[in-house]
Amino acid sequence: MEVLLQLVINGILLGGLYAMIGLGMSLIFGIMGLINLAHGDLMIISTYMSMVLALHFSGNVFIALLITVLVMMVVGFFCQSVLINRVLDKGAEPPLLITFGLSIILQNVLLLIFGADAKSIPTKLAAQNAITTPWFSISAIYLINFVISILVILSLHFIIMKTYFGRAIRATSGDVVASELVGVNTKRVYAVTMALAMVTASIAGLLIGMTFTYTPTTGTQYLIFAFGVVVIGGMGSLVGTLLGGIILGLAQMLGSYFFGMAYQLFFGYVVLLVILTFRPEGLFARTK
Amino acid sequence: MKGMERVAITTALGGRAALIRRIILATIMVLLITLPLWASEGVVMIVFLIMLYMAVGQMWNLLAGYAGLVSLGQQIFIGLGGYSLAIITEVYHLNFLLAILIGGVISGVFALVISQPIFKMKGIYFAIGTWVIAEALTLYFLNWSFVGYGVGFNIRTSYDLSTNYLYFLSLIVGLGSAVLVYIIMRTKGGLALMAMRDNELAAEVMGVELYKTKLAIFLVSAFVSGVTGGVLYLNISFIQPTAAFSIDWTVAAVVIVIIGGIGTMEGPIVGAVIYVVLKQYLYNFPGISMIILGVIAIAIILVAPKGIMGTLQAKFGWEIISARRSTKNIKQMVHPDCG
Repeated sequence: MEVLLQLVINGILLGGLYAMIGLGMSLIFGIMGLINLAHGDLMIISTYMSMVLALHFSGNVFIALLITVLVMMVVGFFCQSVLINRVLDKGAEPPLLITFGLSIILQNVLLLIFGADAKSIPTKLAAQNAITTPWFSISAIYLINFVISILVILSLHFIIMKTYFGRAIRATSGDVVASELVGVNTKRVYAVTMALAMVTASIAGLLIGMTFTYTPTTGTQYLIFAFGVVVIGGMGSLVGTLLGGIILGLAQMLGSYFFGMAYQLFFGYVVLLVILTFRPEGLFARTK
Repeated sequence: MKGMERVAITTALGGRAALIRRIILATIMVLLITLPLWASEGVVMIVFLIMLYMAVGQMWNLLAGYAGLVSLGQQIFIGLGGYSLAIITEVYHLNFLLAILIGGVISGVFALVISQPIFKMKGIYFAIGTWVIAEALTLYFLNWSFVGYGVGFNIRTSYDLSTNYLYFLSLIVGLGSAVLVYIIMRTKGGLALMAMRDNELAAEVMGVELYKTKLAIFLVSAFVSGVTGGVLYLNISFIQPTAAFSIDWTVAAVVIVIIGGIGTMEGPIVGAVIYVVLKQYLYNFPGISMIILGVIAIAIILVAPKGIMGTLQAKFGWEIISARRSTKNIKQMVHPDCG
């Protein structure tokens, strides 16, 4: 029973991290109807970037993250305005395939620079417990992941609901033509949205690097997690994204409890496929 | 030959062009069949790979280019084909040709099983859904004792096969897949497919049975990909889950078809030649060839979305193998009153 309790807690905390992995994808899908197949790789790139900056240059994780966020924002902005924006109005496949091509390139660039060996960002937090009770314990890094994820989700919610830029985003996702008529530069909105998505991806990337090991091909796995979060939570809904992350985290943990550790990821995928089959619009999708 | 004769009779460019086209096709056939007689073993191996990758590309093109089903899960069938070969020859000690055929059938059956849920997913969801199934299969095989967990199998039956034998197998699979696509696209079902891709709703209103047509295409593609996977693994002669069900197979298919020309029959051929030759040329730098191919693919989507062959066709009206029966027929299809 205690094991189960522990797994449920871990599942929920892990879910927070998954939610943040899915956050950028949800944002992009909600606003431009695009599934960014390079999302996982862009995130892992930021993990590597944080690792290099933290270990070899600044020695400080926060400065490393700050620089990574800035660089990734620029990367996201240009990927969107130079590549994706040009094919957004040419049907669903070209943008999808552009991001797929981007994913191929990014993965191989990482392989070329860092090799296929697993890496990690060492941190003291990984081995510590924040809370220890006779029944369960809470890992420090998991708790930090969860708290940061909630903060990022809330900030994003604030940006989208309360700022001028947020209004432009919501207008664009509602009706492109109408927002252009009232003077919104929708292509610019898309590019800034991608930059914003890269901010969340960079933070998620750093947290993943501190929590798990990763390789240049890990991005694929997190892409599917991100997609899972977004599908379960409903595309484009921020609160749904958090719930989606928690459900995916719980599904994995319970899967590992009932079917064995080895089936942790497998069970997560099965839950995703079942939801895709029966409720492809997501569990928490706003009804149109 | 009947199909080619029809090309000759109905081509818009007249008899002369058709004759040239037939001569080109016949020359290519003769060159391919006699290849082991005059080319070095290295060249034969490269054409072997071109044939198989072309088949992989043809099958992805059939789904994405003609049926509008953008699959990111072709590795499911390549992997199942490869594993069928490994298990049937290593565990049951049966003939490998039988094993390759059974691999195709198993792929087809698996496609049938997943078709029910996967066809509920549309567009992007279909793409990711197929990918998730492939990832789930990888994990399942990694934990399945019957398939030797992550250790996999050596496929020893392939050790005493000659290069020429493998080459002729690949020729059957490669040319077979191209001919199959050609035949499919010239049937009523093929026209229905293209109608469906261009406008699903309109096609359905006109009486195209979407579900059946898509399902048939999905099964054919799974079967051929499974067989191709079998022959590919006859050459690789070692199988292991993460490689067998790796997205890399679909990456190859996508890159080949995008570069060659999506929705054209020659596209996968041209794409496969570029893909295999570049990969062989940069064999010692595996990452670099993929980066170059990725950049080319993105550039093509941006600049010439129809790919090399599609752009040539649009510019010069030049097709070696055409899916269309004739221009006149197509006009009749679009405007039934004109005929």
